[in-house]
Amino acid sequence: MKSDQFSVVSRLDGDAAIIYPKGYLNNLSGESLVIECGIYIGKGITKIVVNFGETNLINSIGISLLLQIIEDLRNIKGTICCTNMSKFLKDTFEMLGLMQHMLVFPLESDALKYLQSGEV
Amino acid sequence: MSTELKKALYNISALADLGQAITSEDDFHEKIQSVFYVITGTFLVNKGAILFYEKANDKLTILTQKGFDLADLDLVNPAELKSLVKNEPRLIQDSPVAVAGAEILVSLWVRNEFIGALLLGGKLTVGPYTPEELELLNVIANQIAITLNNHTLFMELSDKLAENRRLYEEMRHIYHGTLQAFAAAIDAKDAYTQNHSYRVARYSAAIARELGWNEHEIEGMYVAGYLHDVGKLAISNDLLNKVTPFTPAERAEIRKHSTLSHDITVKIKFPWKNVEDMVWHHHERLDGSGYPDALAQDSLSEGVRILTLADSFDAMTSKRPYRKRMDVQSAIGELRKCLESQFDNKILLVFCKVLEKEIKGNLPEPDILPHLDSDSDLSVISSLLEAIIKELSAP
Repeated sequence: MKSDQFSVVSRLDGDAAIIYPKGYLNNLSGESLVIECGIYIGKGITKIVVNFGETNLINSIGISLLLQIIEDLRNIKGTICCTNMSKFLKDTFEMLGLMQHMLVFPLESDALKYLQSGEV
Repeated sequence: MSTELKKALYNISALADLGQAITSEDDFHEKIQSVFYVITGTFLVNKGAILFYEKANDKLTILTQKGFDLADLDLVNPAELKSLVKNEPRLIQDSPVAVAGAEILVSLWVRNEFIGALLLGGKLTVGPYTPEELELLNVIANQIAITLNNHTLFMELSDKLAENRRLYEEMRHIYHGTLQAFAAAIDAKDAYTQNHSYRVARYSAAIARELGWNEHEIEGMYVAGYLHDVGKLAISNDLLNKVTPFTPAERAEIRKHSTLSHDITVKIKFPWKNVEDMVWHHHERLDGSGYPDALAQDSLSEGVRILTLADSFDAMTSKRPYRKRMDVQSAIGELRKCLESQFDNKILLVFCKVLEKEIKGNLPEPDILPHLDSDSDLSVISSLLEAIIKELSAP
């Protein structure tokens, strides 16, 4: 299960962290996504944008990891925004009822604009 | 596509994820963690735990968990879980088990063996677990139970294997201790051949190693070296230590020792092949003029040829009642002189290569060099070895 290489990079934009997962979010290597978010949360960041532009597929393991991030942010009254999602990802999240627990934007810039607008 | 159909497809793919996690080459704990993620990702739960039953201690171990208070999980009583229906998910409120935050409990079994438990909290989407979800959980629970059971069986086998290895090593120790005692008894009979058996064993094993034999075969060669003269235990001390030349009758008596060595060793069920054959024929010669059976050429195994050379070399470089010890160069020269008639070209070539490597310090644990005369001029021996190696390596 370690054959599919999954990686994560991130950057800080103001008071929001933008996370870029890359690859199929389907195994234990996906834990790096939770760890990356955890590092920002540990530093006091409460706004996280996950740009799924390079992650088209996700399975039950990936959903579980995403759930962890949602929960970690909920515990600190933070916000998670998901952007650049493929149709498959959007359909999956919708079907599972995850959309109610995150904010979804077409593009990363839309999410950042929203987070900087002070509405959060 | 309807949401129900999408959900059904998602559940099927979750089962595929589970299969992949279970059959992966990950270690056990990674495997269980993947399985746990599949479950929490399938049912969208924020609390869950997989508990493993340690039969020997009659206690449950937490393999992985999320969201529960560890103290609550520690209080779960295996006896209560054993009273539940096998692998059937049930509402925790309808069970004798109480864990704060848990909604669903599954007692994990394989046939009549209690394996552990799976606990799940409420779903992120709220609402009760549907009958379809409980059915899916039942399938998943069966798979987890089998995975945990396989792990138990694997660990039991690993433990047994480790125990067998330990016992085998102990037996090998005892075996070698007994062999050493035998060899000491043999060598003690003859004041002039102290440690002869030990040295022949070392030399023979070194040659076998250089020839590329495997460790098991080398050990057999070593044992043959140790026991090649065991038949001397049946020869009188007076005869063995006689200073004056042997009479024909005495020589015939002495020559019985290799057959006696065979008769003694053949009764031992060695784990190594041909030990008795090697000790039996270590005085045979390539030209067929040896004893006891006057075997020649192809009738002599590689092991016999090794032992013959190692025995002769040590005999020559050791003091005897009727002569002084021969210096190393002379002994090697003597081996060279008796090629074809007595010793095998290939074995002498390999012996010379080993000794040369030992002199040059190319072997971590020398087997031959430490037993040779410390006054020997190593540069002279080295030149001699080089010449023989060159000669015998020529096509």
